Amino acid sequence: MFQVLLYTQWKWSRLIVTVGTVAGFALPIVSVQGAAGAARNPLETGALLAAVQSWGALYPVLAAALGLLVAIATWAPDHRGRHVYALALPLPRWRYVLLRFGAGLSLLAAPALAVLAGALLATASATMPPGIQGYPVSLAVRFALAVVVGYAVFFAVSSGTQRTAGAILGVIGLLIIVHIIGGVAGVDLDVVGRLQGIVLGWPGPLGIFSGRWMLLDV
Amino acid sequence: MFEGRRLLVAFWVASTPLLRGQSLERGPASSDTLAEPTRLRMRADSLLREWRRANTVADVVDSIDRARAWAASETMSVGSLRIVANPSPLPLHDAAARVWRVLDSLYGDEARHFERRPLFVVAVDPDTTVARPVVRGGLMVTWDLDADTLALLLLANLHPLDVDPALVAWLGGSLRPTVHPERQRARVYVELVTTPWAVARDCFLQNLEHCGLALDLTRLDESPESWLQNPAERRVVVSRFLSSLSRGAQARAFHDCTNNNDSACVVFLRSIPREAVPRPLTSEARKTLVDVALQLGGRDAYHRLVANPDSPMAARLAKAAGVRIDSVIARWRAVIVASRPASVALPPWGLWIAITWTVCFAACALRSSRWRVN
Repeated sequence: MFQVLLYTQWKWSRLIVTVGTVAGFALPIVSVQGAAGAARNPLETGALLAAVQSWGALYPVLAAALGLLVAIATWAPDHRGRHVYALALPLPRWRYVLLRFGAGLSLLAAPALAVLAGALLATASATMPPGIQGYPVSLAVRFALAVVVGYAVFFAVSSGTQRTAGAILGVIGLLIIVHIIGGVAGVDLDVVGRLQGIVLGWPGPLGIFSGRWMLLDV
Repeated sequence: MFEGRRLLVAFWVASTPLLRGQSLERGPASSDTLAEPTRLRMRADSLLREWRRANTVADVVDSIDRARAWAASETMSVGSLRIVANPSPLPLHDAAARVWRVLDSLYGDEARHFERRPLFVVAVDPDTTVARPVVRGGLMVTWDLDADTLALLLLANLHPLDVDPALVAWLGGSLRPTVHPERQRARVYVELVTTPWAVARDCFLQNLEHCGLALDLTRLDESPESWLQNPAERRVVVSRFLSSLSRGAQARAFHDCTNNNDSACVVFLRSIPREAVPRPLTSEARKTLVDVALQLGGRDAYHRLVANPDSPMAARLAKAAGVRIDSVIARWRAVIVASRPASVALPPWGLWIAITWTVCFAACALRSSRWRVN
């Protein structure tokens, strides 16, 4: 059963996974371009780290995009078919959901492995100034975790009804309105800031996405 | 309060004739009979007198404010640290104990001088709609602060002990206690690795002689080639940091330098004041060197550091540490290299936190309402 679901999901999301894999492989290599001349230019070390940090902002973006698109692709055919296919299967609902979840995760392993391969190749080929080290494995593990968390978030949202999604958006909108009204009324009530801290800070659900993503660092 | 106002009014009444006299003093200065230097000196003296008077008035105003604000205050002592504060739930004692530990570790026995420098703290309601008193010469904080934050604020508002101008000039500021020395050392590590100056990078690669150069312990009459050792480095420093000095006679040398003429770079660097050239390492690095010297020297180290203000800085640091300056520098380098910041690639516990959230969201998907049968 898992193989069948994996195959169907691969058909639905192969373009996303392929593009994500290529991007994941290329990103670390592109981010260390210029490292070969680091020993010659006295200002290159700081510039190199700044460039690596700038490119590093794309890792969480790629991870979130992959999670979102694969999660949507996972549930879109079921939504279009009004879940007749799923209901026709001799499976309890929880098991069907877990199989779908597992199939999506299996497909997302490819971009994560591509980032690992690209990062290993990039650090091996770069001429690093003294004191600078490469962190290919740590970066790839973090990327994989970010992809998994992103996929889980959007998988949960996509599996719900439009009413559920509307309720989530409504709560977020309400918080923003309260924040704005509080600001206008002169009340010291930083709702959005606190919510951002909770969601994006550790140990928040999206904490894995925040902070610097450095393939090369001191 | 009434007494204070009376005093202020009395002061102004008493000072009015003096101010009138001031305007009379300026009269003859404009006459042609006085030479220019004499006129300028009189103006400078006049400004000095005005400044002193303004200071006196400010002191009076401060004393009145304090008398008003600290009417119902209490004084707390931790070591030689004195804090005057109004009654509140602030964790002042905990914060003061932390501050005193930092002061004592930096200044040693000299920290006793803080007895004469009490800190004034006014705790106010954190509710921003409640009116707050006007306080001058004191630190206003909300009473919901925790001990750590309060300790940081107290340390930031402490007046550092008076030190000689030579130490301040070399250090690039007053010698202040460091709240998070490990973070400061980590920043210096990053600086040592990423600095454009070759002497600093050589220092990282265990060239202790170049550490002395990078830390500005050698005399300022060294040639620019000793600071900026390779042509690319000189060109980069001149073009990026010294473009504001490319005027007049130096414009040609600056232009040639930026066009890869190294001899022009040397000429340009020799033509400008040495102080204009940015130092290889920041004041934070020099501060960590002082910290290392003080730690090596024990409780009397600070006293020895400030005992001979006319000595070269290297000698002062060596005397404070009680060892040769080479040993101080070697120890400093070892401390900095050992302070390499942790990698940011994967935060600690990140793996388990991410897995936990993944399981949570997967469980949410299992509980989706889509297939729920009512």
